[in-house]
Parts: sequence; C-alpha cells; structure tokens
Amino acid sequence: MKPVILTILLLISASVLATEDSYEFDTPQQRQLFLSLTEELRCPMCQNQNIADSDAMIAHDMRRKVYNLVKQGKTGDEVIDYMKTRYGDFISYKPPVTPVTLWLWLAPVLFAVLAFVIVIVRRKSTPPEDMAAKLAKAEAMLKQGDK
Amino acid sequence: MKKIMIFGVPLLAFLVLVVFLFSGLFSDPRQLDSQVKGKLMPAFSLPDLMNPETTYTPEVFKGKVTLLNVWGVWCVTCAVELPYLTELTEQEGISIVGLYFDQDLDPEFGTKTLNRVQQEVVEITSRFGNPYQFHIFDVYRDTALDLGVTGAPEHFLIDHNGVIRMHHIGDINERVWNKKVGPLYAQLLKELAQENTTE
Repeated sequence: MKPVILTILLLISASVLATEDSYEFDTPQQRQLFLSLTEELRCPMCQNQNIADSDAMIAHDMRRKVYNLVKQGKTGDEVIDYMKTRYGDFISYKPPVTPVTLWLWLAPVLFAVLAFVIVIVRRKSTPPEDMAAKLAKAEAMLKQGDK
Repeated sequence: MKKIMIFGVPLLAFLVLVVFLFSGLFSDPRQLDSQVKGKLMPAFSLPDLMNPETTYTPEVFKGKVTLLNVWGVWCVTCAVELPYLTELTEQEGISIVGLYFDQDLDPEFGTKTLNRVQQEVVEITSRFGNPYQFHIFDVYRDTALDLGVTGAPEHFLIDHNGVIRMHHIGDINERVWNKKVGPLYAQLLKELAQENTTE
C-alpha cells in the first residue's frame, strides 16, 4: 500500500511543480498563444527540450520574456522573430526554408521519384520472354526425368 | 554496368554516411552561431553592482578593447576561470568587465538583497582572484537575453567602437586564449592603435 501512496504523492508533486510559473493573461487567446509559443521555442541550454518543459534558468527567462511580449500584444511571429534575432534559427523547432534546409523537404520527394523511375525503367527493360518455348523446354526436361 | 550499380551505389551511400557521422563526432551542439557578432552592443542602462548609483550604457565600451565576462557566483566554471583571467589582466593588461547576473534573484519577487549579492561577489573574487574593472549588474537578465547568452560563463570581445567581435561560450583557459580569443584580441588592439594614429 505504501508504495502506491508514495507514487500518487509523487505524481501530484510533479504537477504542482509544472504549474510553478503561473502567469495571468487578459484573454484566453493570449494564454493559448503563450502555451503554443513556449512549446515551439527550443531551450538553448537543454537542447532537446522546449522552453515549456525545461527548467534551465534561460528557459525561465525566455518564458518570462514571451509572457511579457504576449502581454504587450505581440503576435506569435513577432515573438519568434524576437527570439531568432537573439538566438538564431536554432531557437525555433520549425526550421525556415533556406538553400541548406530545403533538402529536408526535397530529399524524401526526390527519393520517392527516383524509386518510382527505377521501378518503371526496370519493368520495361525486362524483355518479354517466349513463355511457350520455355514451358515446352521444361516439359521436356520433366519427361526426361520421369524415364 | 549492373554490377557497378549493385556494389557502387550502396558503397557510395555508405561512404557519405561515414563522412557525415564522422564529422558529427567533432561538432559541438552548444556551439551556436552567435547572432550578435559584428553588431553593436545592444542598448542597455544598468547599474554598477557595487555602486548602484553609477549607471552604465554601451558608451562605456568606447575607445578601448574590452572582454565582457558574463558570470555569477553560483556558476562553478566561472570561479574556476577567475585565476587565469586575473593572470591575463596582470600579464596582458586586458580590460575585463563583468556582466553579473544572479540566478536566485527572481526579477518578479527578488529573494535576495543587493547587499547579499555584493557580499558573495567579494567573497568569491577575494578567494579566486579579481580580474574585473567593474561589474555591470544585469538585474532582470534582459541584456543577457539580448546578447543571446545561454548560461555562464560566456565572453564577448568588444572593440573600441562598441562592436561585438566575438562571442565565446564557455570558460577561457590558456588553450582557448592562445587559440581563439588571444589572436583576435591582438588584432583589435592593432585596429585601435591604427585608429588612434590616423586621428
């Protein structure tokens, strides 16, 4: 029984920690924007976490900044740009389309097209065999085997 | 031809993969492209940590080459590099300015008094060495954010026009100084000397 209680207590404490930064918003839209932005922005310290999940100090500060910017009535794009001018494209989980990152989208398409072309070409290149002749030959061999 | 395709294509793909993964072994994900390099120091108006009546603006960097050291007493690596930085100021006469920010100081609530912060800074610098001319106190950590600081220690080499010429993430030790920071510092000194002679 004790472990169960402990587990429940631990679960509760985690959810308490998660709501540590309780920001107040004027409108539900602002809250929604704040939540989506903190999920899309990446923590530069703990690089595989977004700033909503990370507990690094920089993530705290960035959340505070995002909150202030949202409160000022900035749009989502403006907040992302604000962070990008300071931390670079890295900060957003959505990479911009540049000549370098273009391949992220292009490569799978090219691969599929290439595979399709190869399949078509190979199908055509196999010459239609004279099935009847082959069958007759096989038949003959089988008969020989019977004897 | 078919044989070349069957062996050559996978071999080529494998080689490309090897080169890609091998280069990945030596890439540091923390080494981000700094966005402030080559730009003017972002605008700020911050107090001196020890004498809060004094206020600094980016003007303070004009006319000399400065190494701006982002640090805090809570940062272990910062304490570790203090002796070497002190040595640098003594040997090379570098002007090192601290951009101090406190971790425990919540801008919204303020859990620590300024007095306490000052005390901690004096404690650390008297123990490990004091390379600093003065400390700019980044109270709300806004300037650190403007500079793209991800943690501490970080360093910015600022030229005599107040332009940031290098953003170094991590500590400065002898190897880093000789390989990376030192050469640029020497070049900036040269630029400053040139400017002074042409005037």
